[in-house]
Amino acid sequence: MNPLVPSPDTIPVPWGYFQFLLMLTFSLHLLLMNALLGSTGIALYAHLRGGEVHRRLDSGLSKVLPLLVAFTVNFGVAPLLFVQVLYGHFFYASSILMAVFWLAVIPLLIAAYYAAYLYGFRFGTLGRAGAAVIGLALLLFLAVAFLYTNNMTLMLDPRRWQAYFANPRGTVLNLGDPTLIPRYLHFVLGAAAIGGLFVALFGRAKERTDKEVGELATRLGLRIFLVFTLAEVVVGFWFLASLPREVMLLFMGRNAAGTVLFAAGIVLTALVLLAGFRRKVLPTVVLTVVLVYLMTFLRDFVRTGYLAPVFSPDQLKVVPQYGPMVLFAVTLVAGVSVLAWMVLKAKEAVSGSREG
Amino acid sequence: MNYPVWYIPSVGGGLLIALIAILHVFISHFAVGGGLYLVLAERMGLRAKNRAILDFTKGHAKFFLLVTLVLGGITGVGIWFIISLVQPAATSLLIHTFVFGWATEWVFFLVEIAAILVYFYTFDRMDPKTHQAVGWIYFGSAWLSLFLINGIIGFMLTPGAWVADGNFWSGFFNPTFWPSLFFRTCIAFLFAGVYAFLTTSFLKDDALRRTMTRYSGKWALVSFLLAVPFAYWYFSVLPEPASRLVEGASPTIQRALFFGLLAVAALFVLSLLLTIAKPSVHNKPVAVLVVASALVFMGAFEWTREAARRPYVIHGVMYSHGVLAKDLHDISRRGILPSARFAAMREIHEESLLEAGEEIFKLHCYACHTIRGINNDIAARTGSMSYRALVGYIERIHERRYFIPPFGGTEAEARALAAFLFSGVHGRPLPGAEGDRAADASRDTFEANCTTCHDADLVKSRTVGWDRQRIRKALDRLSALNPAMPDFQGSPAEKDRIADYIVSLQRGSAEPGAILDAGEDLFEENCAMCHALRAGENALLPKVAKWSPERIRQALDRLETLRGGMPALSATPKEKDALAGFLAGAREGGAR
Repeated sequence: MNPLVPSPDTIPVPWGYFQFLLMLTFSLHLLLMNALLGSTGIALYAHLRGGEVHRRLDSGLSKVLPLLVAFTVNFGVAPLLFVQVLYGHFFYASSILMAVFWLAVIPLLIAAYYAAYLYGFRFGTLGRAGAAVIGLALLLFLAVAFLYTNNMTLMLDPRRWQAYFANPRGTVLNLGDPTLIPRYLHFVLGAAAIGGLFVALFGRAKERTDKEVGELATRLGLRIFLVFTLAEVVVGFWFLASLPREVMLLFMGRNAAGTVLFAAGIVLTALVLLAGFRRKVLPTVVLTVVLVYLMTFLRDFVRTGYLAPVFSPDQLKVVPQYGPMVLFAVTLVAGVSVLAWMVLKAKEAVSGSREG
Repeated sequence: MNYPVWYIPSVGGGLLIALIAILHVFISHFAVGGGLYLVLAERMGLRAKNRAILDFTKGHAKFFLLVTLVLGGITGVGIWFIISLVQPAATSLLIHTFVFGWATEWVFFLVEIAAILVYFYTFDRMDPKTHQAVGWIYFGSAWLSLFLINGIIGFMLTPGAWVADGNFWSGFFNPTFWPSLFFRTCIAFLFAGVYAFLTTSFLKDDALRRTMTRYSGKWALVSFLLAVPFAYWYFSVLPEPASRLVEGASPTIQRALFFGLLAVAALFVLSLLLTIAKPSVHNKPVAVLVVASALVFMGAFEWTREAARRPYVIHGVMYSHGVLAKDLHDISRRGILPSARFAAMREIHEESLLEAGEEIFKLHCYACHTIRGINNDIAARTGSMSYRALVGYIERIHERRYFIPPFGGTEAEARALAAFLFSGVHGRPLPGAEGDRAADASRDTFEANCTTCHDADLVKSRTVGWDRQRIRKALDRLSALNPAMPDFQGSPAEKDRIADYIVSLQRGSAEPGAILDAGEDLFEENCAMCHALRAGENALLPKVAKWSPERIRQALDRLETLRGGMPALSATPKEKDALAGFLAGAREGGAR
C-alpha cells in the first residue's frame, strides 16, 4: 500500500452504477471531442487550401464548431463527476501536483471557445486572419488534450507523486512516463480520424442543399478517417507496448474480459476500415461509435490494471441512499425528451425557413 | 491531511477561488434572470408588433449567449477545478454526498445549452409560439440549475440535520435553502436588468434606447426591492456564530460589507436614475458603472457568505484547512506532521525546525493565509509578535479568534510553527535559541523527576530565598529535607539542570521588570496581530495618547464595545492591570 494514496469517501449506491454512467458519458464526450478536434483541423486545412468549394465547406464547419465546443464541455462534465466519485482520491492528488497546468485548462478553453465563435460569427470578414484564429483554436485544443493526458496518467501512478516533495508549487508534469506520448498521440490521432468521419457525415447531410460541398466533405472526411485510422493502429500498438508489463498482459490472456474486448477491438477496427474503404458512411459511423464505446472499456482496463496494487472501486464503502439517483434518472428521461423535442422543432424551423 | 497542498504562499489558493467564483456567480445569476428577460422582452416585441424591440432582443440574445455559454459555462467548470485543487477534502465530501444532485444539475445544464442555442439560432426562423416555449424551457432549466446548486452551497454554510443523519435531503433542504433561493432568484432578475443596461447603451435609436433602458430599469428596481426582505430572512436564519461574524466580529467581513453596501447604494441610485428620473442620461460609461457596482455587490455577498462559515469550510463538519472536526482531537494528539500524508517530514528536529514549521504552516494556516500576498497576509499579522507570544497565541488561537480553527498540533509543532513565523517569515534570529533549548532541557529534567509528587509552584514556595548553591546542594541529599523524599539518583549534570530550573522559577517573579514584561507579553499575545505599538498599521499608542491610565484600564474591560470587530479581551483582572500598565508606560517611552 502506497502511503501517499488518500483515503476515499463513501458512495451512496454500489460502484457499478457509477461505472456504467462513467463509461456511457465518457464515450459520448470522446465522440464529441473527436468531432470537435478533427473538424477544427479540417476547417484549418480547408482554409489554407482555398478555392470556392473548400471555402464553403470551411464556412459550414465554422458554424458547427461552437456548438461542438458547448456539447464537448457539457459531456465532459458528467464523466468528470463520475470519475471523481470512483477515483477522486487519485484524481485530486494528481491534479494538485500539476495544479498550475491543470487550472490553465480553463483559460485555454475560454480562449479556444471564443476563437471558435469569432471564426463562426465573423467568417466572412476575417479573411486571412481566419487561419490564425482557427489555427489558434486548434493549438489550444491540442494543448488542453496534452494536459488531460498528463493528469490521466499521473493519477494512475502514485509512485510518481513523490515529485511533490521536490515541487509543491503545482508545476509537475508527467513527462517521465513512457506511456505519455503514445497515449497522447493515440487520443489525438484517433480524434483526427473520427473528426474526419464526422466531416464525412456532415457532407452527407449537406448533399441535399449544397451538392459540391457535400461531396467534398464526404470524400475528404473519409480519406482523413482512413489515413489517421491506419496511423492510429500503429500508435495503438506503440501505446500497448509502452504499458507496464502487468497492465499489458491483461489484454494478452491474463484477464479474460480484457483479452476478449481487445480482440473485439481489433476485429471492429478492421471492419471499420473495410466500411470506410467502401465509402459507406453510415455503417462506418455506427461501427465507429461501437468501437469508441469499446475503447472506453479498454481504457478503463488500463486504469484498473495500474491501480490494482492499491485500489479497486469495489473497495468503496456504500452508505446506501437511492432516492437522489431516482431523481437523476427521472430528470434525465425528462431532459432528453425535452431535448429531442427542441431539436425536432429546430430542424423544422431551419428547413422551413430555408424553403420559405 | 489526506491530500497534497498546492503551495504558492505569495498568492494563496483562497484568492484564486474567490476570483473564479465571483466571476462565475456574477455571470451565472445573469444566465438565470437574463433568460426570463429574453422571453419577456421578445413577448413585448411580439405583442406590440415592434420590429425594433425584437431586433434588440435578438442582439441581446447573442450577447447573452457569448457571455453565459462561454465565460459562464467554462468558469463554472473552473470552480470545480479550483476547489478540487485548493480544498480537495471538502470537494470530495461535496461530490460524494451530492453526486446525484450534481448529476441532475448536469441534465439541466445540458437542456439549458441546447435551449439557448436553439433559441438564438432560430430567432425569426421559428414560429413565435414555439420560440417562446424554447425560451421558457431555457429559463426553467437555468432556474432549476440554480435550485440545485443553491442547496449544495447552502449546505456548506448550514448543513443542518445532515450532520446527525447524513441524509441527502436533510443536507440539501438545509436551514438557509429557501431564503437563499429566493434571495438569489431576486439577484438573478436584478442582474437581468443590470446586464441589459449594457446592451441598451449600444442602441443608436434614441426612442428605443429610452424604452428599453426604462424597461431594464424596472427589472433592476423591482428585484432590488424584493431582495431586501429575503436578504433579511437569509441573515436571520444564520446560526449564531456565523451571524456574529457578519455583524462585525470578523474584520475581513466588515471590509467586504463596507464595499458591498457602497455598491448596493450605487446600484440603487443608478437604477432609480435610469428608470424613473432620467433614462436619457444612459450611455456606455453609465452602463459600465452599473455593471461594476453589481459585480462588487456580488463579490461582497459571496465573500461574506464564504467567510461567515469560518473556522469551517463545511460548518461544524470540516475546518477550513480540510480537517474533519471529529478528527481534530486525534490529530492534535498524534501531531500534524505524522497525520499528513504529504508532509515532507514526520518528526521535528532542532536542525530542521524552520522547515518543519513551514510544513505545519502549509498544512494548517495556508488554507487562509498568504505570506506577503494580497489576501490575509500572515507577515503583517505577526510582525510585532515575539516568539514567545506566538507560541502562546497559536496554542489558544481559536479562543482568541473564533474564526480561526483550533491549532490541531502538538506543543512541539506549535513551537516549530512559531519559529517559522518568527524567524522564517520575518528573518529574525530566534531569541536565545540556545538558551531556550537549555531552559527546555532543565524543565524537562525537572518534570520527569519531580512533578510526580510536587508541582513547580510548590517547589518554588519551599525554596524562596535560596541561592543556587543551596538548591544544588539540597539535591544531593533530598532525604535530609524530608525523610519521605527519596534521594535523587540522577547524574550531577541532571542535578545542575534541575537547580537551574528552580532558580529560574524564583527569578520569574522576583525581577523588578517582571510586571512590565508581563504587560508586553500580553500586548503581543492579544493585540499585536492587529495593532502595531507606536507607528505602522493600526498603531495603538497614538489612539490612547491622551487617555489616563485608568481610562486605558477600563477600556480593556469592554473592548468589544469600542469598535465593531474588536473581540473582548479574555484575561484576568491582574493581567489587564499589567497590560494597562505596559501601555501607559510605553506611552512615556518606558518600554522598548
